[in-house]
Amino acid sequence: MPKVPNWQLGREMDYPYERGKPQRQFAAVFNINRCIGCQTCTMACKSAWTFSEGQEFMWWNNVESKPYGGYPQFWDVKLLALLDEANPDGQVWDTSAKDAQNAPYGRYDGLTIFEAAKKAGARQQALGYLPSDKEWRAPNIYEDTSVSWSQGSSLPEHSTWFFYLQRICNHCSYPACLAACPRKAIYKRAEDGIVLIDQKRCRGYKKCVEQCPYKKPMFRSATRVSEKCIACYPRVEGKDALVDNEPMVTRCISACVGKIRLQGWIDDEKSPVYYLVRKEKVALPLYPQFGTEPNVYYIPPRWVPRPYLEQMFGPGVEDAIDRYSNPSEELLGVLQLFGSTQRLIFSYEITDEAAIGFDEKGREIVRVPIEEPVIVRPPQHLNIT
Amino acid sequence: MAWWATSYRKATLLLFGLVLLAAGLLTVFDLRLASSQAITLTANQVIEPVPLDDPFAAVWNQASPVEIPLSAQEVTQPMGGGSARAVTARALVDEKRIYFLLEWEDATEDLSLASQEAFRDAAAIEFPSDGGQTLPSFCMGQTNAHVDIWQWKGDWQADIDRGFASVAETYPNAHVDLYPFRDDKTFYPGWAVGNPFSQRERVSPVESLVAGGFGTLTSADVQRVAGVGRWQDGRWRVLFVRELAVGDDDGVRFSLGGSTNVAFAVWDGSRGERDGQKSVSQFTDLRIGREAESGGISTGTWILIIALLSGLLAALVAASGWFILGRGRRSP
Repeated sequence: MPKVPNWQLGREMDYPYERGKPQRQFAAVFNINRCIGCQTCTMACKSAWTFSEGQEFMWWNNVESKPYGGYPQFWDVKLLALLDEANPDGQVWDTSAKDAQNAPYGRYDGLTIFEAAKKAGARQQALGYLPSDKEWRAPNIYEDTSVSWSQGSSLPEHSTWFFYLQRICNHCSYPACLAACPRKAIYKRAEDGIVLIDQKRCRGYKKCVEQCPYKKPMFRSATRVSEKCIACYPRVEGKDALVDNEPMVTRCISACVGKIRLQGWIDDEKSPVYYLVRKEKVALPLYPQFGTEPNVYYIPPRWVPRPYLEQMFGPGVEDAIDRYSNPSEELLGVLQLFGSTQRLIFSYEITDEAAIGFDEKGREIVRVPIEEPVIVRPPQHLNIT
Repeated sequence: MAWWATSYRKATLLLFGLVLLAAGLLTVFDLRLASSQAITLTANQVIEPVPLDDPFAAVWNQASPVEIPLSAQEVTQPMGGGSARAVTARALVDEKRIYFLLEWEDATEDLSLASQEAFRDAAAIEFPSDGGQTLPSFCMGQTNAHVDIWQWKGDWQADIDRGFASVAETYPNAHVDLYPFRDDKTFYPGWAVGNPFSQRERVSPVESLVAGGFGTLTSADVQRVAGVGRWQDGRWRVLFVRELAVGDDDGVRFSLGGSTNVAFAVWDGSRGERDGQKSVSQFTDLRIGREAESGGISTGTWILIIALLSGLLAALVAASGWFILGRGRRSP
């Protein structure tokens, strides 16, 4: 099995194919701290892509409440349990082995889902399981269920806590769905790294459903093949005349009323996403230990106990929360760009007054003030009844 | 103790030991006696019509059944299967068509793919494609020697018998307000791009495929194989039928009096078997158009019986030698 570099793990790992680096890689940052769980993203996706027969249970975008929620139910707990079973007490990080470029969080010394499958006899490409109908059925189960009840809370960590986790396909650099497909029906696009299922080659074996650790490919009984989040690729390609055929962000990202999402390129130094993930390290991958190098990154919630967050986002959590809580001027500026436009921001500039986003050709597409001016309403316009 | 008693015990022990050793070796190497023999499936020529919709028709008494041993697929990922230990294959041929009948044990009839965890029962026949440079690997062939595959699928059979199952039929208690653009293929991508699995009008429960290595399996441009599968009392009987005369690009050619190779595979849906997770055989000889053999015991079975008898005889001779030697030594 070839060895491929995984910067999130700070080491090389086993993957069935050689690294095929796309020209640029789709990526997004979700700021968990800002999410209000309104599910507008979920419905935006649903009304765009999954409103037809056989897709009733499909939520390519879903928002689940942690720690108890999950769609499909307990997906992450089950994966973590499988990995722990494969490598008891061995799923650890060496945080002393840090390197800014190749190992920003240290080195992961445990097993990825690919390595765990190899250890178990390599009968399939990645460790996984097939969720049942019942597990898919209740996407919002345990909504807003906190871990316990206690009076009063204060930062840095609350004793009573929950948070919303917004999930789409991670369009991984090393997708387990792609590795799992015996048909080679799943491919990663060279132009933007978006992972798609070829609807003509798929034979509905559900191997992708079984082996994607994030459980984002789903089997559609009305066509008997699997489907998944397509990162709204027609929008990313700029096929919409509404914005002069310029690249747009995905439906879930543009519809977010809490403005918690920002789309960009993980490997383009000019992209605000690159800045947040690779330079400022304020946004972290979801379960990097799975080994797929996921490309949706999260600013972790400040109030949640650190061991839980570290299990979910790796050892970069403390630093990320620290930087988010005490933001630099640049970070403060980039945070203003979240949800500021439905056009895709390729590069940005932060001045004393404004955060400015540019398109691929360097044209200004959005300008947001760093600090909103304070406007006092004159007495005749006060909303007092 | 009397001398004869000791020798008799020695001989018994030796025989017992030999049997144990043989059984042990067979178990350790997962060898099955039947797989070491040369099996030939003969498509007997018939004059009476072979019903295309009844795999239990009396005409099949004229076929020479051959039991083909199956084993789990352990060559490529995903590995697994092996729930069916054997499939009974029969073949007939007439002036126009060739017919194959597969029969195997399966406790459950798995026809639906509606649930996220459900899989279909299926069976397949594989032949070396015409024009190959060598005999292809029975594992999906290779680049210079392709294979033709006919796969019967339980859900396709149900589509034909009962119609393409809708979600409302599968989940009668589920409620949906509205499906916008309900019959617009655009919103059923698999259907729109012509994926054979997504099509709602089925002509045959059998899909004709070609492959030239792992991951290359592709539905054939021309679909000419008909068939029917029926489950009864814990057994499947699946009939495959195709015209003898086909065009140049319409799949493998069969000729009366000719021969080729054939391999078989069976999937048990209730055990999650699909794709490479299957019970599979190696290539077997296929003769087309010979007369029915007398008796009903195939050549392969005769070879097996003769081999077993020879082995037993050899063991007995050895045991007798031991017995006689032991007696001789004890003679005054």
